[in-house]
Amino acid sequence: MTSSTRHRQMAFVIDLNKCIGCQGCTIACKRLWTTAPGLEAAYWMNVETVPGRGYPRDWAGRGGGFDKGRPKPGREPTPEEYGIPFEFDYSARLFSGKRDRGRPRAAADWAPNWEEDQGAGAYPNTYFFYLPRMCNHCDRPACAEACEAGAIRKRPEDGLVLLDPDRCDGSRACVAACPYAKTFFDAAKAKAHKCHGCFPRLEAGLAPACVAQCTGRAMHVGFLDDGAASVHKLVRQWGVALPLMDGFGTGPNVFYIPPFIGPAVEGPDGTAGAAARIPDNYLASLFGPDVRTALRVLRAERRKRGRGEPSELMDLLIGRDARALLGHLQPHPSR
Amino acid sequence: MGAPNRRKFLKGVAAIAAAPVLGSGLSLRSLAADPAIRPDYPGWQDLVRRGWTWDRRTRGAHLVGCTGGCPHWVYSRDGIVLRDEQSGDLPALPGLPDPNPRGCAKGSCAIDYMYGPYRLKHPLIRMGERGDGKWRRASWDEALQLIADRVVDAMVRHGPDSVSVFSPAPAVAPVSYAAGHRFAHLTGAHAHTFFDWYGDHAPGQTQTLGVQCDAAETSDWFNARLILLWGANPVQTRIPDSHYLTEAALNGTRVVTIAPDYSSSAAKSDQWLHPRPGTDAALALALAHVIVEERLFDAAFVAEQTDLPLLVRSDTRRFLREADLVEGGAEDRFFAHDQASGRPVAMRGCWADQPDTRAAPRHAYLGRDTLSFPEGTLALGDLRPALEGSFRVRTRDGGDVEVRPVLELLRRTLADHSPRKAARITGIPAATITALARELAATRPATIITGAGINHWFHSDVLFRALHLLMALTGNVGRHGGGVNHYVGQWKPVPSAGINALAFPRGVSRQRFCQTTIWTYLHAEARDGIEGMDIPRRLRDSLTSGQMPLYPRGGRSPKVFICYRGNYLNQTKSQGDVLRTLWPKLDLVVNINIRMDTTALYSDVVLPSAHWYEKTDLNFTEEHTWIHMTEPAIPPMYEARSDWRIFVDLAAKVEETARRRGVTTLHDDEFGWHRDLGRLHAEMTADGRLARDEDAAQFILDNAPETKGMTLDAIRRKGPQRVVSNWTSPMEEGVPYTPFRHFTHGRKPWPTLTGRQQFYIDHSLFLELSQELPAYRPPLDSDQFPLRFNTPHSRHAVHSTFKDNDLMLRLQRGGPVLEMAPADGRQRGLADNDWAELWNDHGRLICRVKLRPGEPAGRVTMHHAPELYQDLIQGGSQSVCPIRITPTHLVGDYGHLVFRPNYYGPGGSQRDVRVEVRRYTGPVPAGL
Repeated sequence: MTSSTRHRQMAFVIDLNKCIGCQGCTIACKRLWTTAPGLEAAYWMNVETVPGRGYPRDWAGRGGGFDKGRPKPGREPTPEEYGIPFEFDYSARLFSGKRDRGRPRAAADWAPNWEEDQGAGAYPNTYFFYLPRMCNHCDRPACAEACEAGAIRKRPEDGLVLLDPDRCDGSRACVAACPYAKTFFDAAKAKAHKCHGCFPRLEAGLAPACVAQCTGRAMHVGFLDDGAASVHKLVRQWGVALPLMDGFGTGPNVFYIPPFIGPAVEGPDGTAGAAARIPDNYLASLFGPDVRTALRVLRAERRKRGRGEPSELMDLLIGRDARALLGHLQPHPSR
Repeated sequence: MGAPNRRKFLKGVAAIAAAPVLGSGLSLRSLAADPAIRPDYPGWQDLVRRGWTWDRRTRGAHLVGCTGGCPHWVYSRDGIVLRDEQSGDLPALPGLPDPNPRGCAKGSCAIDYMYGPYRLKHPLIRMGERGDGKWRRASWDEALQLIADRVVDAMVRHGPDSVSVFSPAPAVAPVSYAAGHRFAHLTGAHAHTFFDWYGDHAPGQTQTLGVQCDAAETSDWFNARLILLWGANPVQTRIPDSHYLTEAALNGTRVVTIAPDYSSSAAKSDQWLHPRPGTDAALALALAHVIVEERLFDAAFVAEQTDLPLLVRSDTRRFLREADLVEGGAEDRFFAHDQASGRPVAMRGCWADQPDTRAAPRHAYLGRDTLSFPEGTLALGDLRPALEGSFRVRTRDGGDVEVRPVLELLRRTLADHSPRKAARITGIPAATITALARELAATRPATIITGAGINHWFHSDVLFRALHLLMALTGNVGRHGGGVNHYVGQWKPVPSAGINALAFPRGVSRQRFCQTTIWTYLHAEARDGIEGMDIPRRLRDSLTSGQMPLYPRGGRSPKVFICYRGNYLNQTKSQGDVLRTLWPKLDLVVNINIRMDTTALYSDVVLPSAHWYEKTDLNFTEEHTWIHMTEPAIPPMYEARSDWRIFVDLAAKVEETARRRGVTTLHDDEFGWHRDLGRLHAEMTADGRLARDEDAAQFILDNAPETKGMTLDAIRRKGPQRVVSNWTSPMEEGVPYTPFRHFTHGRKPWPTLTGRQQFYIDHSLFLELSQELPAYRPPLDSDQFPLRFNTPHSRHAVHSTFKDNDLMLRLQRGGPVLEMAPADGRQRGLADNDWAELWNDHGRLICRVKLRPGEPAGRVTMHHAPELYQDLIQGGSQSVCPIRITPTHLVGDYGHLVFRPNYYGPGGSQRDVRVEVRRYTGPVPAGL
């Protein structure tokens, strides 16, 4: 590789209108990378119901990231905030004649998806949606900034933020520093770990497992500077894909199509009003003030399809060909 | 650069220059990304790369009671199965969204049933009481001998029909399904229906259309311009199909969810209507009211395709029949008033038009085989049937009677179902109802996607008839993107002729199929708590007149129960009565399983079955039209054997035992079948031609028109293959399957009594109950308790499969919960995650509560059928749900309404259950 190597950025777009909260990405990732002992509580990819406290619990209020460009102190989540993984002794009940039920050994009072489908608002004006969250492979990774061992690097060829466990000194500084709580600590090995973008798959020309296995077809991946990639079009051209909590100052590279389809608020007489059920202010708190423009554009483009007129934007989101969501990548191994 | 130096350096920079540097878009650490100073760290990366390698890739399917039919690749290394991933090789249909990747999180947990703690490894024989979980390991020989001895005992002492074999859902694993059914067939044991029993069958659909069921493949949703999600929550329960819904919405289709709770699917819809639970038929009839009153219906479609023009006698409320008019006339030929000639004219396609000699019905899913009618057509020609008015006809006995078209009667019935009245019943504003009716009439294609949410009501049949009425009035039947599409259960074993040939070699009519709802109700002596509907007498009449079957015959009890590929005991309604009364009647309960589930736990002998990735089988679904397969990634682990092999081995053991005891010949009076148990093994394997799973799979493909010409090897090599023909529509290249086009476009008569979509059923019971037309019947209020108990399917499990999976439970709350409106919780002093006790007259359960704002007050929800060993303190969802038999489902003597396994019979209703909930204050066991 020469010094003329371009700095490129791999980006992800997650369409919250298509995400069905099925946790397919969560399990695809977990099954592939985080099943070893010590990693049970870690979900590099998780899907949480919002409004809600999320995973780890209240992750958004722990600090980390940057404040006016300066690293902002953060707090490492506690094991309880991640959720102590439930374990069940089925063999005792099923094969050894123990009478009790297979209930979790740990007291069950929190888990990564504890608030599933709860959301906010009073019936009938309740609302919720699903928010998949993964490492943002940020432009200014707070984790890397905090790592004094130099174990976390943003690599130039695709902008993935990678953590070298051989260099990790177990300081946990990165865990506290990531405002999205997407760096983790493996107490068994005394090493930090995080999403590596499924780089072995990328090297084989394949989309990461979370994207490839998304049965809701809600995830896009590709180079942000690839004019042909759907991520480029949605982020750069249409401006309808927005980062989550950009105020943390890290420059996330996971972008979200805000939820713009949903029933309107219902009036006291039971008829539907005009206002969207999910308050714009709430969406702005997640995706910034630009979300209002994005919602307007998305709604207008959908109305075009309703009238039978073409819409490039809706076609991009529908993505009739599965490969159209994946930039230059393919979905699955060919052999 | 050493760490101490770096720290010092960083502090200095952070204090002085961090902001400007960061403002440039490159952090200090990111500077290290410059290739010139980029460190080499191949060691750990190679380790990660090794985590994503495999040495074998095989085809895999998840052989559970799931409609997904999701083709996967299974990756293994060094003889260990690592994981699976969607194969991604389902071909896309032009212009429609890609069907790939098709799968879900549960499927990704498939390997846990290979390696997890629930896996059955060896034959086990019970040591303690049933349910204790105390076992001793047995050899295959000992276990099979024990079963064979009891089977032969039962056959000799109590008759072959005292042996009972239960296995559901042929579509997901037809070879495995056929194994035990073939064994039952050859030994004379009785077998069980399941589609009706589980509440998957929509009796109202069979009443209207004369089909067991049929629906569009889900890619057809994208073709709809208006989607009514009516009592269905596909976002949770049809996970691999949901993208067609969200993509249709993005494509401009309007989506309306009709459900009492703010569901995951409601959140994806443009409009959410939340009728009070169980009032859906009032809403449907009000929509029909507007469409009929405002004359928004498709008169040409209705005249040709439905019974709405057929004449009904005002004096008897029965159809005008040919026998009414002429001596020797047919009882099942019907008339319309032709406006052209001014006379009643016999309509073509009626039951009476069946040819005298016909091939045996090839299509077990049709009320009769009208597809091969040489003369049959619905084409009206010059006829102009009247849809309204009143006419007089002279009967053959000289009478002069008034007759009116069904639509005229319907109009009068609908007059009582105005939007204003429906608003009072449902809680939905009248203006909203009227607007939706007009939209429905004006938008084509429009579809109703429906499911268990409404199909599990006691009176679901009248409701489904109303839904079909809406689609018929608006001409949406047989139209791509239209129709009533019912997706409850794995009801579509597409190549049914092939599966039947394998499972019932001498014909399905020689299989002793009991009707499982009736079987369980009677043998468990279940208490339904219903008063005033005369159900015991109606049931008795239906049985004694042969309308519905019961085995063993003559009031005897079943003696041996063999259950496999199904969790009968866990899923049964009236679970308490089944455990208390039915279970003790069984001398031997055998379970064949990959895992120790609730039914296995309460069995006497448990045999380990090969996992889905350890055997060969086929896999079908109604949700798409592609056939795929599973094959061994590794040989069966431990001592497991495939279901096919287990029943072949059991047949050999029964033969050997019968020979030893000199009881090889057995005359079967019911079928006049001289059974020779001395040839049982040879018959089981067709003299060795069906010895292996692969042979049986190929036999199915070879013996069904849908799969003719396909080979197992081609599916393995090329991937999923599209069926070449299908149940009620032709398969068209590049076009999604939409049912009923043989009737709507080919104009073959519908397989009903009248040959038309039949909304008027003049059976005496229907007339007695005033259900001759679609009607609104409020939910049963037999349980005098305040809260409705709702038990839907779950996102994180397929019935009970995966309910106990660690990874799935960690994405829930570690065990089953009761979802409750916050107000209902507050009223009872219940906070989120408190333990609560739920009960009614049928039983009791104790579990944790989850307060969910989207749940309507007055209703509580528990995802159905947690295993009885899971994290409840007592009971399970089925503890409080009794078996309840709907009288109209007992009819088996009316044209297309006849008992045939899984085609028509009493269904599984459990939506009408009412309960009370209170805080549980007893001790909470620490658990295991």
